Amino acid sequence: MSILSYNGGAVIAMKGGNCLAVATDLRYGVELRTVTTDFPKMFEIHPHLWVGLPGLASDTQTVLEKIRFRVKMYELQENRPIQPETFAAMLSNMLYERRFGPFFIEPIVAGLNPHTQSIYLCSMDLIGNVTTPEDFVVGGTAEEQLLGMCETVWSPDMDPDQLFESVSQALVNAVDRDASAGWGAEITIIEPHQITTRRIKTRMD
Amino acid sequence: MASERYSFSLTTFSPSGKLVQIEYALAAVASGAASVGIKAVNGVVLATEKKHKSILYEDHSTYKIEKITDHIGMVYSGMGPDYRLLVRRARKMAQDYLLMYGETIPTSQLVQRVANVMQGIIYVTQEYTQSGGVRPFGVSLLIAGWDASVNNGSPILFQCDPSGAYFAWKATAMGKNYVNGKTFLEKRYDDKLELEDAVHTAILTLKEGFEGQMTEDNVEIGICDENGFRRFTPEEVKDYLTNIA
Amino acid sequence: MLGLSSPLMPAKPALPDYSAGAGPVEHRFNPYSNNHGSVVAIGGSDYVVIASDTRLPSGYSIMSRTQSKLFPLGEGGRSVLGSSGCWADILTLTRLLETRAKMYWHEHAKPMSTGALAQMLATILYSKRFFPYYTHNILAGLDENGEGVVYSYDPVGCVEKFKFGAAGTACSLLQPMLDNQVGKMNLAHGNPEAQMDMEEALNLIHDLFVSATEREINTGDSIHFKIVTKNGIEERTIGLRKD
Repeated sequence: MSILSYNGGAVIAMKGGNCLAVATDLRYGVELRTVTTDFPKMFEIHPHLWVGLPGLASDTQTVLEKIRFRVKMYELQENRPIQPETFAAMLSNMLYERRFGPFFIEPIVAGLNPHTQSIYLCSMDLIGNVTTPEDFVVGGTAEEQLLGMCETVWSPDMDPDQLFESVSQALVNAVDRDASAGWGAEITIIEPHQITTRRIKTRMD
Repeated sequence: MASERYSFSLTTFSPSGKLVQIEYALAAVASGAASVGIKAVNGVVLATEKKHKSILYEDHSTYKIEKITDHIGMVYSGMGPDYRLLVRRARKMAQDYLLMYGETIPTSQLVQRVANVMQGIIYVTQEYTQSGGVRPFGVSLLIAGWDASVNNGSPILFQCDPSGAYFAWKATAMGKNYVNGKTFLEKRYDDKLELEDAVHTAILTLKEGFEGQMTEDNVEIGICDENGFRRFTPEEVKDYLTNIA
Repeated sequence: MLGLSSPLMPAKPALPDYSAGAGPVEHRFNPYSNNHGSVVAIGGSDYVVIASDTRLPSGYSIMSRTQSKLFPLGEGGRSVLGSSGCWADILTLTRLLETRAKMYWHEHAKPMSTGALAQMLATILYSKRFFPYYTHNILAGLDENGEGVVYSYDPVGCVEKFKFGAAGTACSLLQPMLDNQVGKMNLAHGNPEAQMDMEEALNLIHDLFVSATEREINTGDSIHFKIVTKNGIEERTIGLRKD
């Protein structure tokens, strides 16, 4: 088994009309043994900029701390909040610096610019190769299940309520078919002037 | 002489609280060829005097105004070799920024980083170190930029001194006769200046302390606006000079 | 002493080296190839519908864009096998199943029931427990009450009876949505016992294959449906993207 699936997990980010959703499962396990059910893999950099770090849990935490350090340095030096595009480029470079001894995470970045209303979504592999789709990005051990769900569930210009429903259904049904992911979920809807985070119950097996 | 005791090390203060090596560097700048920078509503102009010491010099073989990125340009007063080193470093730092953030470097960031170099601060393996014992750069820089990210596009003009101090100007002059140049600009400058007029004002400011005839061979001009930074060709400079006369 | 190459005694040309080298050289043959493909089946109160894609890849080549992976079994019965994996094994397995079903028909003078076929398939698969048929199977049919049933297998004959199922390359993409839409999982007002009507099932399968084809390179070209009712088996084909 790959190191990427040692701890398990699933993350997703989806674009709506003028809103954005990010979601994560809550399981932390060691191979097939579940250890904790309070371990989100999606993190707030700003209310309008989120990063998902599915993969090896120790690298999730290490990379998160490295990200926080570099974002703070950037923002102190430049005296402005970091933009999603810039953040993604920075993270991509950080990962590629470890080209031959990588961090075992496959991050996704999601951001909404509250002024221009523009939405940025991207996913990366573990050495920082970036793809920027127009609709949704997924990652983690339930990646295939999430892709199947999202392809069917996604439609353009969903409102925040529809988006919440789509992302919840996509995530929950996907992780129910993945033994390494699930055990609760956390979903955040990002609108220009409002951020809503909800925890939802799922099967616990 | 007592002051000579403090004139060896860059980092030793004199009893009056001055770093005399820095003062000497500023003196080198003040005796160098004049440069002018003016910010207009829709761009920035840089202009400089480029008089050859001998008629045997090949005209237009070297430049004093240099492009750093598509949207940033630079000029200097002081010592040419020091300037060219800083141009190389500035270009490299701009490309490093682009590589890291996937975004062109904001002018203020470039100025900050060039200032660090001039102050002798080096970034090596994620640590900043201050180098000691080296001489200061014998130049002051004018850095002109156009930042698309600021207020939907803004002109920017900075001066950067040998000490590493930097200032944002609406308009300024450096080098020989800079005091007169600044007095002239204080009279001529207004906030609604258009770039075309700013070019004329820059030429007139240079003319204040200019010895001899201004020609396209001894004046260099560069502009920076929403289309980026560009150095005028001698023909363009000639047209502007003709319009002034 | 003269060297061997003196003009009087020319040196013998060196003999070729016939030694076998450092040790034994192992040559390997891989008896399996994976020709992929995906199968989905949904059973209702009086029908079962089974569908497969029609792409037959080998490596990165496409050997056929029109090869259905559905096999009606049981001599005029009401059962269809959907099989994906190693195409050679699929052909061998289905030929064996057809033969055994025909023998059953001759001996018992009636077609094999879906339940009997399901059990026989499990036995045949398990009989090759240590050199398995590399096939992922779904058997769809009508039970003794005329209700749709779906049997799902692993390659060595572990079988379970369901009302719906997915198998093959894209099964991880297809199965969660089936759980949700047919099994009514994670729906606040869904009744898991409710049977899906046929048009709904056909539309869902179509949507699922469109989605799977979007992301799974070994699935595509077109969908082949077999709709089983008490009146017989109806066929349909719908195109998918071909890239």
